[in-house]
Amino acid sequence: MPLELDAYKPAYEKWVAESLADYRAGNMKEIIKKYPFITPDDIPWTAYSGQPSNQTFALVTSGGFYLKNSQPPFDTESIHGDTSFREIPKTVRQQDIGIAHLHYDHSLTEQDMNIVFPIERFVELEKEGIIGKLTDTHYSFSYVNDVVSLVTATVPKFISRIKAAGVDVLFLVPV
Amino acid sequence: MGLIQRLVEEAGIPTISMGNAADRMAHIKPPRAMLVKFARGSMFGEPGNVKRQRRIIMDGLKALQTMTEPGTIQKLPYRWKQPDPE
Repeated sequence: MPLELDAYKPAYEKWVAESLADYRAGNMKEIIKKYPFITPDDIPWTAYSGQPSNQTFALVTSGGFYLKNSQPPFDTESIHGDTSFREIPKTVRQQDIGIAHLHYDHSLTEQDMNIVFPIERFVELEKEGIIGKLTDTHYSFSYVNDVVSLVTATVPKFISRIKAAGVDVLFLVPV
Repeated sequence: MGLIQRLVEEAGIPTISMGNAADRMAHIKPPRAMLVKFARGSMFGEPGNVKRQRRIIMDGLKALQTMTEPGTIQKLPYRWKQPDPE
């Protein structure tokens, strides 16, 4: 069943209008309390079959990661958040990562990106043959409030990328 | 993140996710998830705990193979800066 965006859209627009002042003042508790969360009834399901050792994995975080020398940071000012994503190569090193996400404490991820993006562990599992293949490219999203843009524009693009990369399983780590 | 997971699963790719807020997860209903007791911004616990990071991924691989009911959420036992159970 598709997500009920028709009901969400006006509720979201109302929320933006009512929450802008609180958002700018950083009253996150207040705006979260009022946010029109989508609460679907159903649960989508694709049966898992086969063995991890024969399959291709990709990793996604919502930690606001970007490559600080080659990619733009996410927009951290808009109340809508930023619905774009960044492609992070599996060879990424800690020092390559910038973080653009104002709504969690980065001090720990700056020490060890693996606590929200365990790419180094996945690389090890690929080398050991525990998983068949780790795609060359992985993904980071950031803070998002605008679900309409996310669902109608960004996610279809994201899904076509991971399908083109032959991803069999997606592992998602939020912040 | 939950919405992205749902849409990817709907598009035919099995997914496994993590979370630390049971109430939020109950609303968004991820297809398969693991619930941890860690704070926002550190789903795998304290920085540098390589062994636990690996263990949680292995938990995820096992969950993929054993979860048969849509919406299953497995509680993981790990605690901040405490030794993991055997």
